[in-house]
Amino acid sequence: MRLNRLDLIRYGRFKDANLTFPKPADGAPDVTVIFGPNEAGKSTTFNGFLELLFGFKSGAHPYAFRFERSDLLVGAELELPGHGPMVVRRNSKRSQSLLDAQDRPINEAILSSALHGLTRDTYEERFSLNEKGLREGGERIAGAQGDLGQLLHAGLSGLTGMAQTLDALAERADAFHKKRGRATVLKTGSDRLKEIGRALRADRLTIERERGLSHDCDRAGAAFEQADAALRQTHQRQAASIAAELWCDRTAVIGPLTEALGAFPDGPDLPPGTAEHVAGLVEKIAAQTARIAEAVEQIAKQDQIITDNPLDTLAQPLAAELQRLDQLTIDGAPLMDRASTARADLVRRLEDRKKIQGQIDDVLRHLQVPDAPASTVALEASALEDLTRAVQDSVSACLCADAAQEAVAAARAQQGEAPAEPQDLAALRDAFDLWKAVADGSALEAEQAQAMARLTKATAGLSGSWRDLIEAGLPPREALDEVAREWAELKADLASSRKDLEVRAAELAEARAELAAQEAAPDAVDIAMTEQTRRLRDSVWQQHRTDLSPETADQFEAAMYADDGTRAHYLTGAEARQRRGAAQTQVRIAETRYDRAQTRLDEVSAQHERLSERCSKSAMALGLDADAPPSAFVARHQALIVAAGAFAELINANNALQTFLTHQKAAREALAEAARPVGLDPARGDLPAQVHRVLTLEDSDRRAWVKWQEGEDALAELVMKSEQGHRLSEEAQGELARLTAALPLPDGSLEGLRAALPHLRRVQQLYGEHQKLSVRIEALQQAIDALTEGAKRLARSMDDLTDEADVDPVHVIDRARARVMRAARADEKRAEALERRDAADKSKRDAEAELRTANGDLDTCFEGQAGQGLGPRDRITKLVERDRLRAEKATAERDRQTARAGVAPDFFAEELARMPDATRAGELEQALKDAQETRDAARDGQREAERLYREAFAATDHSDLATEQATLMEELRTGARQAAVARLGVLAARGALRRLAAERRSGMLRDVETAFVSMTTPAWTGVDVWSQAEGEKLVGLQPDGSTVPVDQMSTGTMGQLYFALRLAGYRSFAREPGPLPMILDDIMETFDDTRARAALQLCAEIGANGQAILFTHHAHLVELARACIKGVTVVNMPR
Amino acid sequence: MRLLVSADIHLGSPIRSVALRNPDLGDRLKQASRDSFAEIVDLAILEQVEALVLAGDIFDNGYPDLKTRAFLITQLARAAEAGVPTVLIRGNHDALLDHRAQGDLGPDIHLLHKAAPTVEIDGIAFHGLSFDAAHVAKSFLPEYPRPVPGKRNVGLMHSSLDGAPGHDPYAPCAERDLMAHGFDLWCLGHIHAPFERRDGPVLAVMPGIPQPRHFGERSGGTVTLVTLGEGVPEFERRAIGHLGFCDCALDLSACSDQQEVLRRLREALMSVQQPGRDRAVRLRVTSDRYDTTLVTELAQEILEGIDGVFLDKVKSTPPPLNPGAVADDLVRLMQDELREDGFRQAALQQLEDLRLALPSDIMDALDEGELDALLADAIAEVSLSLHAGGLK
Repeated sequence: MRLNRLDLIRYGRFKDANLTFPKPADGAPDVTVIFGPNEAGKSTTFNGFLELLFGFKSGAHPYAFRFERSDLLVGAELELPGHGPMVVRRNSKRSQSLLDAQDRPINEAILSSALHGLTRDTYEERFSLNEKGLREGGERIAGAQGDLGQLLHAGLSGLTGMAQTLDALAERADAFHKKRGRATVLKTGSDRLKEIGRALRADRLTIERERGLSHDCDRAGAAFEQADAALRQTHQRQAASIAAELWCDRTAVIGPLTEALGAFPDGPDLPPGTAEHVAGLVEKIAAQTARIAEAVEQIAKQDQIITDNPLDTLAQPLAAELQRLDQLTIDGAPLMDRASTARADLVRRLEDRKKIQGQIDDVLRHLQVPDAPASTVALEASALEDLTRAVQDSVSACLCADAAQEAVAAARAQQGEAPAEPQDLAALRDAFDLWKAVADGSALEAEQAQAMARLTKATAGLSGSWRDLIEAGLPPREALDEVAREWAELKADLASSRKDLEVRAAELAEARAELAAQEAAPDAVDIAMTEQTRRLRDSVWQQHRTDLSPETADQFEAAMYADDGTRAHYLTGAEARQRRGAAQTQVRIAETRYDRAQTRLDEVSAQHERLSERCSKSAMALGLDADAPPSAFVARHQALIVAAGAFAELINANNALQTFLTHQKAAREALAEAARPVGLDPARGDLPAQVHRVLTLEDSDRRAWVKWQEGEDALAELVMKSEQGHRLSEEAQGELARLTAALPLPDGSLEGLRAALPHLRRVQQLYGEHQKLSVRIEALQQAIDALTEGAKRLARSMDDLTDEADVDPVHVIDRARARVMRAARADEKRAEALERRDAADKSKRDAEAELRTANGDLDTCFEGQAGQGLGPRDRITKLVERDRLRAEKATAERDRQTARAGVAPDFFAEELARMPDATRAGELEQALKDAQETRDAARDGQREAERLYREAFAATDHSDLATEQATLMEELRTGARQAAVARLGVLAARGALRRLAAERRSGMLRDVETAFVSMTTPAWTGVDVWSQAEGEKLVGLQPDGSTVPVDQMSTGTMGQLYFALRLAGYRSFAREPGPLPMILDDIMETFDDTRARAALQLCAEIGANGQAILFTHHAHLVELARACIKGVTVVNMPR
Repeated sequence: MRLLVSADIHLGSPIRSVALRNPDLGDRLKQASRDSFAEIVDLAILEQVEALVLAGDIFDNGYPDLKTRAFLITQLARAAEAGVPTVLIRGNHDALLDHRAQGDLGPDIHLLHKAAPTVEIDGIAFHGLSFDAAHVAKSFLPEYPRPVPGKRNVGLMHSSLDGAPGHDPYAPCAERDLMAHGFDLWCLGHIHAPFERRDGPVLAVMPGIPQPRHFGERSGGTVTLVTLGEGVPEFERRAIGHLGFCDCALDLSACSDQQEVLRRLREALMSVQQPGRDRAVRLRVTSDRYDTTLVTELAQEILEGIDGVFLDKVKSTPPPLNPGAVADDLVRLMQDELREDGFRQAALQQLEDLRLALPSDIMDALDEGELDALLADAIAEVSLSLHAGGLK
């Protein structure tokens, strides 16, 4: 298969782009270098090619960014074996995605067959190589350690990880199981399974185990019952012994108690708490007696206090008079507080008023009105403010009027005489503007000259009839390009076909020679030949039998040897016959290929004839000779197009110049017409210059006229302001006169008023203070009078014999106030004594009642008891002791009965009979301890047996272990299969690789060596194969004859070896089943020029056997390719 | 009248799947057979069936464990207390049901055997026979009682019927004879895949194993609810069990990249989710470059985010060659190698070495008869691993 053209119709960023891969000329290798910078779309192009061949992959499409995935479309012209050139397209549908040029679905089998059934991935692996793949491939084949089979497989398949894959599989198998391995999955799992098995068996509750556990429970239960009974009996005997001992003890106590009770008073037992109650009553009686005596003493003391504090009858009227005086006030405060200072205060204030009156008189003298009452000169504060403002306004108005008048005088002095009024020059300006637009025609004249020069230059190489050719019409450029392209392609096809024919002829000759050689080989005889020699031998034998002559004998001998030889050759010649058969097949194939090449050459030659005729017509239309080559068409076509353009430009320049001159004349006449009204005359010289001067001065004249007009307006405004100032001054003086009309001032002028203003303010202030002080003096005098009158009334109430006229009010008031206070204190003491006396009297009565009650209770406590002659305290002590002895005796009797009641009667009798026995308690304690221990042991045994039985049922059933066991078993089962698969896979792969080495070594090894040496010379001179126990190993040969194992080569050399292997693999595939395009993506990126050149030559080798497409973004590699590869085609990536 | 029919409980038998390596799942399912049986009793009580019918193989292991028997009795007593009696027979795994050795099962729990083959509950006669021997080659049918006239008759039988693939011939019985015996309903056990048979008015149900224990029992996970009215008995299958097994085939050949592979895997694994039930999935992948190990890793990673789905096993195989395709040299030569006697001898030796190292219970995994299948897998594995080298 060959790729002739790739169409990126809608794919990635491309739209209607294509890459053409022309067939090489005869003898040249089929190599196309596609050059484009980074990001030019080389990956897109390669991916598009793969999707064309194998269909679009599912999922999100990486190149569906400009067009939707459903719109993506790629196409190509492919050279398919058995079909010839074929245009196909591929869209992104899931089915029927392969289309012909008319978008009709075609059978995938056409492509699949041409691709020899390869999948996309295997195609990529085998027929593409990039720099990374080359580098990593070199590194990875090192793992093969020179194994010939693995290396050849890497070359054939492009897969380099064989060694790693086999190692990984072996590792996987070893990880599962390895002899004597301690940490393998199988060993670990088996150990765990054993542990689980043991745990499960240990806890399994079988029927037999359940029976055993049940029997243990029964036996332990019986033992416990027996021990428990023995323990109970021992307890009973011990209790009987204790009871008997107690019985004896209590009997010994009861006798003395009975005897002692005879010495105490008779009577019933005291109720509980009687002793404490009696003691309490005795205490109470003593306390109440003391309380009564204390109350009597308190009553006498209070009676004395009441007598010492009698009632004062004058206190109430004095208090009322003092309250009235306290309510008198002065300046808002009580008069009583200031009674002692009021008189001195009155004198001081009279002095102050006198001083103020003196100051007022001084000011009136300054105002020159000494006799005027102050009230006529002292203005109200607001009136004084109005007068001050009026004076200020009057002064300001006078100053403004004077200033305005001065400004008018200054403005009149500055304003000069009026200038001349300017004229309207708009029409003249318009006419002058029109003139300026057409004043200069030199540019058009220069342009006309240049157009003439270009025409002369463009027609310099043309014949005189060039204008006729243009008028007759030129063929379209696209048609000429098409003819040229077809001519070039056809020429390339013709050369390619001739080359192909030569190659096929050479192959045919070689195949025929090979066949002849094989047929000539003595061991290439077939069965027919053996039959033939046998028949010859038999006939010679018959002849010899007939003749029996030496000649016939010799003939027979020769025939016999020939027959024996033929049969011997036949017997040993199976391989030779196979070779001959292969040679015959090769001859047939070569003949077919030769015929096909011949047919192709004939077809291309016929196309060449047809295209030559089209070329002749085009050449004549361009004014060339009929046999002119198509490569000259484009240049001539371009020259004629340029000449036609230059001629058109010259005509346009002439027309433009004439039009301009007409416009210039009209403008001159219009300017003269407009200049006449403003006094300009063409006769006085250059009219445009005169006009230009007038128009230039127009602006300054107009500005001077405007400025004078503005000065006049300003002067009129100043006059108006001066008049307004005088008017305001007169109004202010009128207002001032109105305000001062009532004042008795001798000087009513503006200045006089301004001087009087401070004195008027002083008078206004002093007069106010004088008025306030007068009011206060009057109020003070009135208060002092009221106070004196009150004091007199108090003196009369207290019967004071002093003359009322000399009475000191303050002294009298103080005495009255002291008397009132003494009377109040006596009242308080008397009331308090009365209250205390009542309380003491009540306490005395209560104590007397308590005393009577306590004596009654004491009598009740001793009721029925003997011992009346004793005091209450001694009597109750005797009775209490009597009751204690009685209780002790009763307790002893009760203990005896209680001890006897709780024990077995027979055991009690036995133990009582043994009393007293000091060792009996110890004996029984030991017996009890022994029985207790026996019973506890039996109880523990029973509980343990029951626990074991319960736990056997209730214990974890180990379902988790059973689950783990089953899971582990499944894991081991799966792991065992995987390990077996891995081991068998390695075994089969190693056998297959040995077979591969044997099968391919003869066909590939020479290619590998040639390519390797080509790239690495002079460092390496060849490769060789060593046979070792573990298989055949590839080694490299160096110039000194030494050999280096592959795994000892440098990384770079290894990469070159890998490339050589891939090249050999490609050639092998190209030979059988057939060539496919090989895509090489910048594989020489890291090579130096020498090695890059060598690698390019190897690319040419690929091209010699099939088709090589080399992507690169390095311009120097393009140049190297041109230099190294004959006839290489360089194609730029489409934009 | 309604009956809940089950069989082949195999109490104590663990689930055998690598999926249980997941700690959560392993913990949940460590008592899966018991939990499923408790679920059956719950269902019988909830549905208030007239009887719970158990057609044999209630126990599993060859080492009888009385704890399991205690569990069974506890559960059946629970059903009895709720008014649901149980009728059961012994299957070939049921030594623990020997009432002479281990005592009575309790009230309302009727074990049918040769001495007491029939019990009547609510007017229906239940007939069944239990046998003591683990393997019985003859049919039990001739020894079954005749139908009780005027009653609905229900038979319990543990049998492989005419024989079923994958099951030992246990008390084989011709289906035709069974249906002609005169009973209205046959409740069968022994075959772990459920099925029903009708012959006129007679119905035979095989309820299947309630809790499948491995991939081979993936069609189980059911019990059968039978309504025994006046006419033909009606049945309804009910899902039971906590874990189901399923098969999932997936072709990854057309995937453009690993993202696409992950997406397809995720879709496939999510499609087997079943609400309220865990699923152990066996993944069969077709791919020319994703080997079993790689697919397993990817699937495990995806399953981290999918609830209720676990990996039972993964197998990856390459797609078949295109028609007329040139076979890969290595594959072709490996296949040639397999045909060599010397190679087969060496392969068998390796297989035997590995087999002998295995625990005896799983030695059958590497029997000689497995050699061809293992070799086919081996060639595929080498090819996939080699192509997968770039992916790793």
